[in-house]
Amino acid sequence: MSGRSGLDPIQLQVLTGALRAACEEMGAVLIRSARSSNIKERRDASTALFDPAGEMVMQAEHIPVHLGSMPAAVEAVLDEDHSQGMSWVLNDPFAGGTHLPDITVITPILLDGVLMGYAASRAHHADVGGRIPGSMPADSRTLEEEGVVIGPTRLDEPTLRGLSAQMRQPAEREADLRAQLAANRMGALRLCELARRIGAERLSGAFGAVLDYAERRTRACLAALPDGEHHAEDVLEAPEGDLTLRLQATVAGERLILDFTGSAAQHGGNLNCPLAVTRSACLFATRVLTDPDIPPSAGAYRPIEIIVPGGSILNARPTPLPGDAGASGAVSRPAVAAGNVETSSRVADLVLAAFGRAQGQGTMNNLTLGAAPDAPQRDGAGGRKDREGREAGFSYYETLGGGQGACPDADGPSGVHVAMSNTLNTPVEALEREFPVRVVEYALRRGSGGAGAHRGGDGVVRELEALREMTFSLIAERRRHSPRGAAGGEPGLPGRDSIDGQPIPGKTTGTLKPGQRLRLETPGGGGHGRH
Amino acid sequence: MLLGVDVGGTFTDAVLVGSDGAVHTAKVPTTPADQALGVLDAVREVLARAGAEPGEVTGFAHGMTVATNALLEGRVARTALIATAGFTDVVELGRQARMHLYKLCESSPPPLVPAELRYAAPERCGPEGPLVALDPVRAEELIEEIARAEPEAVAVALLHSYAHPEHERLLGALLRERLPAATHVSLSSELVGTFREYERTATTVLDAALSPLVGAYLRRLAAASTAQGLPEPEIMQSSGGLAASARAASHAALTVLSGPAGGVGGALLLAELADVENVLCFDMGGTSCDVCLITGGRVTETAERTVAGRPLALPALDIHTVGAGGGSIAWRDPGGALRVGPESAGAVPGPACYGRGGEEPTVTDANLVLGRLPRDTPLAGGLRLDRAAAERAVARLARELGLGEERDGHDDDGDPDGVLACAAGIVRVAEAEMLRALRVMTVERGIDPRELALMSFGGAGPLHACALADELGIVRVLCPRTSGVLCALGLAAAAPRRDVSRTVMLRGEAFSEDELVRARDELLAETRPGVGPGSSSESRSGSAGAAGSVDSDDFLDVNARVHARTRVQAHNRMVYEMRYRGQSHELPVESESADPTILREAFARAHEQRYGYRDDSGEVELVTMRASVWGEAPELSLREGGGDHGRIEGPAVCPLPEATLYVPPGWSGTADEWGTVRLERS
Repeated sequence: MSGRSGLDPIQLQVLTGALRAACEEMGAVLIRSARSSNIKERRDASTALFDPAGEMVMQAEHIPVHLGSMPAAVEAVLDEDHSQGMSWVLNDPFAGGTHLPDITVITPILLDGVLMGYAASRAHHADVGGRIPGSMPADSRTLEEEGVVIGPTRLDEPTLRGLSAQMRQPAEREADLRAQLAANRMGALRLCELARRIGAERLSGAFGAVLDYAERRTRACLAALPDGEHHAEDVLEAPEGDLTLRLQATVAGERLILDFTGSAAQHGGNLNCPLAVTRSACLFATRVLTDPDIPPSAGAYRPIEIIVPGGSILNARPTPLPGDAGASGAVSRPAVAAGNVETSSRVADLVLAAFGRAQGQGTMNNLTLGAAPDAPQRDGAGGRKDREGREAGFSYYETLGGGQGACPDADGPSGVHVAMSNTLNTPVEALEREFPVRVVEYALRRGSGGAGAHRGGDGVVRELEALREMTFSLIAERRRHSPRGAAGGEPGLPGRDSIDGQPIPGKTTGTLKPGQRLRLETPGGGGHGRH
Repeated sequence: MLLGVDVGGTFTDAVLVGSDGAVHTAKVPTTPADQALGVLDAVREVLARAGAEPGEVTGFAHGMTVATNALLEGRVARTALIATAGFTDVVELGRQARMHLYKLCESSPPPLVPAELRYAAPERCGPEGPLVALDPVRAEELIEEIARAEPEAVAVALLHSYAHPEHERLLGALLRERLPAATHVSLSSELVGTFREYERTATTVLDAALSPLVGAYLRRLAAASTAQGLPEPEIMQSSGGLAASARAASHAALTVLSGPAGGVGGALLLAELADVENVLCFDMGGTSCDVCLITGGRVTETAERTVAGRPLALPALDIHTVGAGGGSIAWRDPGGALRVGPESAGAVPGPACYGRGGEEPTVTDANLVLGRLPRDTPLAGGLRLDRAAAERAVARLARELGLGEERDGHDDDGDPDGVLACAAGIVRVAEAEMLRALRVMTVERGIDPRELALMSFGGAGPLHACALADELGIVRVLCPRTSGVLCALGLAAAAPRRDVSRTVMLRGEAFSEDELVRARDELLAETRPGVGPGSSSESRSGSAGAAGSVDSDDFLDVNARVHARTRVQAHNRMVYEMRYRGQSHELPVESESADPTILREAFARAHEQRYGYRDDSGEVELVTMRASVWGEAPELSLREGGGDHGRIEGPAVCPLPEATLYVPPGWSGTADEWGTVRLERS
C-alpha cells in the first residue's frame, strides 16, 4: 500500500482530508468575499488544487457544472513562466474555459522558488460585457456576442482593472476577481504549510498517492456495474429545430467508455459545448451512478473515457473564417452560452438514461434581466423612481428549479435544481429591494411530475412583473419535449413560458415594458416504475 | 440559592449553589416520556443533599431538549399557515437547492405545515409598503375558513412584513379573537422581524408547530415547581440567555437549542473563572462534537442556524456540529484508506470495548488500545472496558488495511500485527475530522486559533484536546471536571435575555445617526413592553416582585427576580448587521455607538478580518439591527475543591469524573481551584 508514494492508509486519509479542507477553505473565502449574488448567494463557484504537472488533486465543487472542467484551465497556462505572486486569468471556452461568465483565476504556488502546484478558482460573474446585460443572450451566434473573450492572460493590476472596465458593474467585477485571488492565496498558503509539514520533496509523491486512491475507488465502483453496452438518445431544442444527441455507454470491467459519436454537429446557435463542459456533465452523471464520496480529483476520472469527435456540438471548435482557408489563422468561434447551462444537462440526462434513470427537468431555466444605463425611465405603470443610481443600469440572472426524476426507490423532489446546477434562489424580499421587478407568483407547479411507482417531482411557477423597461433573455429547454420516465413511469410535463399570457419560445430575447408579466412554468420530472 | 437543572440524553443534572458558595450536585436518569419528572427528581435530590428547602431557592434555570426532541421525532401540532397570495408554497420551495449534489432523490424535511393547511391572504406589501391592502371583510372570511380546519396552531408570514407588519398584526388580532384561546398564533414580524421570506416563514411555522407541546410541558413544570414552593423555572434559550417560563411557552422556537446553549453557558462561566477571554470550546460525546467560540468574553452568535435541516432565523449561539464522536466507526474504504465515521456505534451496541455486542472498532476502542483510557476504573454508569475486545476489533481492521504485513521488517517495534499503528491511525483520522470543525469556526472566519485557549469537555473531548491544540498551534488547554455539572452550573449562572431584531435596510442619507437612534429606541422599547426607552435598569429594579410569581412574559418580572439575587447590572447590546452594497451576506458588528461613521469603520475592520480586504470606495448599508436586553447576571461565589491531581506532566492519563484526560508528552499543568485542569505546551 505504501508503494512508491510512501503513504500508508492513515497518511493517505489524513492528506486527502487536508487537501479537501484546503479547497473548502478557498471556497469559503471566495464565496464570502465576492460581491455579486451569483457567487455569494448562489455559490456558482468552485476551487481546486493542482500538482505541478497540472493534475487536479482536489476540488471543492459547490455546483457540479464545474466538476472536472478546471484541469483544462490549468493546462492552458502550464507552459507559461511562473513566478511568486503572479496569477493567470482566462475564460475562453476554447482555451481552458467553459462559457464566458465563468472566469477562472489560476495561481502558481511556489515555495522557496520551487513550483509546488497551482490553486485555481472559477466563478460565474454576473456580466462579462456581452451584447446584453448578464451576457447570456438567448440568440447569440458567435462567441464575441457573449462577452469579452479572455485567453490565458497574466492577471496583474492593470489587467484586472482593464478587464473589469470592459464589463458591466466594473466595481463588482473587480471585487469578484479580487475574491478569486484571495481564495487562491488561501489555497497557496495551505499547500505550502502542507509542503513544509511533510517535506516538499515528498509532496509530489503524496499527490500521486491521492490521485491513485481516487482512481482505485472509481475502478471498484465501475467493476460492480454489470459489463455491457447501453444506448440513449435525446434531443436539444435548438431554435432551428431539434438536434439529436446519441450515447453508447460501455462498461468493460473497471472502465467506462462514453461515446457520443453520431451526435449533431456544432451549430450556428449557442448550444455548443467545448469538450470540457461535456466532460463535466459526464463526470457528474458518473458520480451519481457510482459513489459521490470519491474525492473529486483527476484520478477519479482516469477510468472514464469520453469520446466525442471534433466539430460535434459536444466538442465544438473554432472554425476558419469563410474564405480565409486558414491563410491568416483568423477563426470564427462558435457561441456557447446555452451549451454550458443547458446542453450539459442533456449530456447528464443521456448518461443517466443509459443506466435506466428517469429524467429530471433537464434545464436550469436561465433568465437574465437588465437595463442599460441610458434606458428610458418611466415613472408610470408601477415604475419606482430610483434615487440612488439604479439609472446606472442593472443586470440580474436567476435560474429556476423544477422536478427531479424519480429514483428506483424514491419520489423525485419538487422545485429543485436537478443536475449541473444547485444554486440558491434569490429571496423575493431581496430581489424586490434591489431590482425593478415584482414577483407576482412563486409556487410549485402541482401535478407536473410524472406518475409512477415513484413520482417525478413537480416543477415551479414563477411570474415576474417589470417595473421599468428592461431586456430579458430566457434560455430554457424541455419546452417541446417532456422529461421521460423510466421502467414504465410517466413523463413529466414540459415547461412553458409566456408574456402577459402569450406563449413565447423557450429561447427568447426581448424587451419587457413596465407592467408586463413574464411567467415561467418549469418541467416536472419523469416517474419511475408503473403506477 | 441558585438552582440549575440540565436535561441530557441519559442523565438529568442539578446544581445548587448556596449563598455561602457551596456547590451541591445531583444526577438522576432522564425521563424521556416526560422530562419534568426527571427534573423534579433531580431537584429533590439536590435539595436533600444540601439540606435545603424549596423556599430557599431564589432562582431556578432550566435547560431542556423538549423542543428539539419533538422536532426530531415529528411530534408537532396541527399547524396552519397564512402567507401572501401567490406565495403559500415558499415554505416548501425553500431555497431551491437540492439536499445532496449527487444523491438526487434525497429530499429536504417536508414543511411542518401541509399544503392543505396553507392559506392565501389577499394582500401584498412591497418594500415601500402595502400594494394590495388587506380587506378586513375578506380577512375575516379567511379566518372563518381556518377556524373550520381546527388547527392547534397558526403561523402568519406575509411578504415584506419585517418592514410592514400591519397586515400580520390585523390577521393575528382576528385569529386570537375568533379561534379558541388554546390555539397558538405566531407572527413572523413579531418573532423574527428580518427579511428573507423563506427563513422567516419556516422559523415562524416551526414556532407555531412546537409551541403547543412545549407550552404544555412548561406549564406543567411551572405548576409542579410552584406547588413545591420553588420559583417558576426560567428557560435557557438558543441565544444563551434565559426566558421567563411563560415567554418560552409562547415561543418554542426560542428554545430549540436550549440544551447545547446550557453547556456553552457552563464553558463561558469557567472561562470567566479562569480569567480567559478567548476560548475555542470543543465538546465531544459519543456520536458528535460541538464547537463554538468565545471571543472577548462573549460566545459568538448567528441568526443563520439550521436545526434538523430547517432554518432558524433567530439569534442563537453559533455552535458547529460534526458527526465525529467516541462511537464513530473506523473502516477501510474501497480505495484502501482508513476512514472514521460518519457511521457511529452509538450507545448500543456501542464500541467493541463496551462488551455489548459491538464488533466494529471505534475511536473509543482505539483510545483504549493506546492506553489512553483507564482499563480498570469503571466509566460513567459503572461500565468496565474490555481491552481484549477492543484489540480484536482494531486488529481485524489492521489486517484489512495491511498494516501488520507492512511492518514485517520491523519485528522489534512491539506491534507485529499493526494494532497500535492502526489505533493511532484511527485517532489521527478522527482528529482530522474534528480539526475541520475547529477550523470552520476559526481560520475560515479570519480568527487566528493560536491566540485562543482550547476548552475541551464531553466524555471524549479531553482525550483529544492536546493533539488538536498542537495542530492548531494552540498552547493552552482547559479541561473542566465534568460536563454534566458544568451545564447545570452554567444554567445557574445565566442571565435573562430578550431579543428583538428588525431589517431596516438603510443606505445613503437614510443611514444617519438620527435614523439609527430612532430605530434603536424603537427596538429597545419592544424588548421591554411598558417601559420607556429612556428608563435605566436601575430605575426598574425597584419594582422587584416576589420570586416564583412570574406569570407573564414581561421582561420586568424576569429582571426583578434577577435583581433579588445579584448586584451585577443589566445591560443592552446592539448588533448592527451591515454589508457592502451588492453583497448578500451581512456581517454583525456590536456597537454601543449609533454613529454611522463609527459603525462603517467597525464594519470595514470586521470585513477585513473575516474576508481579508476592505473596500473604502464601497457603499456600506445597514441591513438589520438586533437589540438584546440582558437582565442582571447572578454573582456567583463558588467554593469548590479542586487541585487533587497535583502537577500533571505528559504523557499521562488522568481520570476525570465522566471523562478521561490524555496529556501527551510536551504538555503539563495543574488543576485550578474550580477543578479545571489547565495545561500548557512546554
